[in-house]
Amino acid sequence: MSEIRYADGRYSGKSGSIFGLSLTVAILTLFTFGIYRFWGKTRIRRYIWSSAELDGDRFEYTGTGLEKFLGFLMAVVFLAIYLGIVQMLLTFVGLNLLTEPETEAEMVAQALAFNLTFLSLVPLLLFAVYRARRYKLARTRWRGIRFGMDKGAWGYAFRAIGHYLLTILTLGILLPRQTFHLEKYMTDRMWFGDTQFEQGGRWQDLYGAMKHVFIGLAVIFLGIAVGIAFQMELLLVVLPVVGYFWLMIGFIHYRVQSFAYLTTTKALGGQIAFDARPQTSTVIMTYIIGGIVISVVVGIVTALLGTLAVVSLGDMSGGAPSFGVMALLGVGYVGIILGVGAASTALIVQPIIAHYVDTFTAINIDAANVIRQRVADKGADAEGFADALDIGGAI
Amino acid sequence: MHWISAARSEPMKGQGIFFDGETAGRHHVDVGLSPDRQALVISSDTLPAPLRWPLPDLRALSDHAQDKHLVLTRHMPTDDEAPRDPARLVLRDPVLVDWLLTSRPSLRKSDLHPGTGRHILRNAVLAVGAVALILLVILPALAGTLARLIPLETEMRFGRAVTAQMERFLGASENGALDCDAPAGRAALDKMVQRLTDGRDIGYDLNVRVFDHPMLNAFAAPGGHVVLVRGLIDEAETPDAVAAVLAHEIGHVVSRDATRNALRVAGSAGILSLILGDVAGGAVLVAVADQMLNSAYSREAERNADAYALQMLNDAGISSDGFGDFFDRLAREEGGFALPEYLSTHPLSAERAAKARDNAAGQDATAPVLSEAEWQALRQICD
Repeated sequence: MSEIRYADGRYSGKSGSIFGLSLTVAILTLFTFGIYRFWGKTRIRRYIWSSAELDGDRFEYTGTGLEKFLGFLMAVVFLAIYLGIVQMLLTFVGLNLLTEPETEAEMVAQALAFNLTFLSLVPLLLFAVYRARRYKLARTRWRGIRFGMDKGAWGYAFRAIGHYLLTILTLGILLPRQTFHLEKYMTDRMWFGDTQFEQGGRWQDLYGAMKHVFIGLAVIFLGIAVGIAFQMELLLVVLPVVGYFWLMIGFIHYRVQSFAYLTTTKALGGQIAFDARPQTSTVIMTYIIGGIVISVVVGIVTALLGTLAVVSLGDMSGGAPSFGVMALLGVGYVGIILGVGAASTALIVQPIIAHYVDTFTAINIDAANVIRQRVADKGADAEGFADALDIGGAI
Repeated sequence: MHWISAARSEPMKGQGIFFDGETAGRHHVDVGLSPDRQALVISSDTLPAPLRWPLPDLRALSDHAQDKHLVLTRHMPTDDEAPRDPARLVLRDPVLVDWLLTSRPSLRKSDLHPGTGRHILRNAVLAVGAVALILLVILPALAGTLARLIPLETEMRFGRAVTAQMERFLGASENGALDCDAPAGRAALDKMVQRLTDGRDIGYDLNVRVFDHPMLNAFAAPGGHVVLVRGLIDEAETPDAVAAVLAHEIGHVVSRDATRNALRVAGSAGILSLILGDVAGGAVLVAVADQMLNSAYSREAERNADAYALQMLNDAGISSDGFGDFFDRLAREEGGFALPEYLSTHPLSAERAAKARDNAAGQDATAPVLSEAEWQALRQICD
C-alpha cells in the first residue's frame, strides 16, 4: 500500500461573479412574478458547486430549474388542499373554544388553538428538510459520480418531533443529543456512488461545542441573581446584556463547531475519513463585515435618493414631483431590495461557504478511485415542498 | 470563419481530464479531432478503447465558476434529470477551449426529455385546478357547512368578540362606551326592527345597536349582532332608508355571512402566499390577489343581502325608494372615483340604486316605517 494521501477542499468563486448572477436572477424573478426563482436558484447552485473543488476536481450541480418548477407545482396541489382544510378546521375548533377568557388558562388554551395552524405544518416542514437534502445530494456529482440519499423523510420528521419535544422538556440540555441523532439519521442514509457514509462519534462530545451557550446563560442568571440580592441595578442591566450577546455568539459557535465535529466523525465506506476546521471567529467576522459594508452602501444610496426626493419636492413647491423623479425613486427602492439580497449572497453567504470548503480535508482520497456509479434518482418532488414552504434560504 | 482556418492549419489536439461516469477514477486523456472532422476522439492508456464523441452532440456545463475551463458532456437519452451522458471531459487547454467555444454553438444548447411539454402541462393544470377547486369550491362549501355546525351560543360569543373589537377600532376605551341608548330613540329602533321582522323566522335573537361615530357604515357580526353607525342615520334622508340598510344587514345575519367569511378567510389565507412565494413586492401581489378573491365572494353575498332586504321591505310594506336614494348618495360620495368592481367588496352603488328603484316602481301601497316624531327620536338616539 502506498502512503495515505490527504486531499484539501478549495473554493474559488468570486464575489463579483456571484453578485452579478444573483442580481440577474433577482431581476428576472421580479419580472416573471416569481416563476424564475426555480431556475435562478439552480443557476446559483451550479455556480457555487462548480466553485468548490476537492483534490483539484470540481463539484457539479446537475439539478434543473424545470424539475424544481414541476416539483413545486406538485407540492402546491397537496399543500393547497391540506392547508386549506386543516386551517379551516382548526379555526372551527378555535371558535368553539372561544369564550370571553376569564382565567389565564383559558386565554392560553385559546391562543394555542389558533396557533395550532402553525404546528400542523411542522411535520411537513421537517419532511421538506429531509427531502431537500436528498434532492441536493441526488443532484451533486464529483468526478462524474452521483451522491445520493435513501428514502426516509417521514421517519426523519417523526424522529425530529420526538427529539424536539425531549429538548424542550429538558430545557435545551439534550440539544446535543438531538443534533447528533438527527444528523446520524441523515448521514447513515447518504451515499457517494455505491459507497455509504456512516456517522461515528458520541452525542456527549457535542457538549464541548455548547460551552459558550452555557457561559452566556450563566452570565445572565448571575447578573439577575446578584443584582437582585445586592440591589445593584447596574449589574442587573449590564450582565444580562453581556450574557445575551455571549449567548448569541454561543449559538453560532455551537452551529459551526457541531458541524466540524460531525464532519470529522463521518466516514465513507470505512476507507475515507474527513477533517473540518472552520473557525467560529471567521464566520462571525464575515457576518459583521458583510453587514457593515451592505448597511453603509444602502445608507449612501438611500441618502442620495432622499436628497433627490426633497430637492424635487422643494422645486415643485408643494406640487406633485415629475414622473421621471417618481420613477427614479421607485426603481431605486426596488433596486435597494434586490441589491441587498444579491450583496448578502456575495458578501456573507458565499464567503462562509468558502470558509467551510477551504477548511475541509478528505483523508485517504485514493480509495475513491474504485467507487462505482449509482443509478439516477428521479428526485421525487425536487424540493418542491421546501420551496412552497419557503425554507432553505437563498441556496 | 475562425474554426475553418484553425482546422485547416493543423488538426486540433490537446490534453484533458476524463471521468467515465462509471467509477470515480481520473483519466488523463489526449483529446483530438477525428480524421473526418466529425467527432472528438478521447484516448488514454487507462481507457479500454478510444471514445468518439460526435461534435453536434457535445454540450458544456453552464454557469460554471471557472470560465477559462470547459466541462463537456454529450447529448444522449438517459434516465438522468437531463438527457446527458454521465461521463465528463474537463478541458483546461486555452487553445482547445477557445476553438470549441468559437466553433461549436450547440455547446450551450439545452435539451429536454421527450414528453416534457406534456409533463409541464399536466402538472400546471393539476396545480391550477387544485388551487381553484380548493379556493372556489371546497373552502366555501366547507365554510358553509361548518358555519351551520357552530352552536348558536358559540356564534353569539364570537359575534360579541367581533363587535367589541370593532368598537375598540372606532376609538372606544371600553366595551359599551360607544353605545347609543336614548330611550325614545331606542323605542323607535325597536319598532323598526319589529316591523321588518314581523312574522319572519330569522333564526337568531337579533341584537341591534347604534355606535356613536361619524362613519357612514353598518355591519352584521356573527350570531345576530347588527350595528348601525351614527353617521349612517345622520346621512339618511328618511327612516325608510335606515330600515332598508337594517334589512340588508339582517339579510347577512340570516345567511350567516360573517361566520362563513371568517372560516373561509382562515382557510385561504396561507394558500396565496404559498404560491406567489418570496418575491420582492410579493406582499403587494398577495394582497391584491387576496382582495380580488374576497371581493368576489362578498359581492355575491351583498347582492343576496340586497335581494333579501327588498323582499323584506315589500313584505313589511315599506317603500324601497329610500334605499335607492341612499345608494345614489353613496355613488355621489364616491364622486366618480370607485374601485373597479372586481376589486371592490360591494357591487357598484349606481347599479344597486337602480335595482331598488325598479323594485319600488312595482310595490303596492307602502307606509313610512316610522312617524315623523319617532324618526326625530331615532336621529337623536346618541344625544
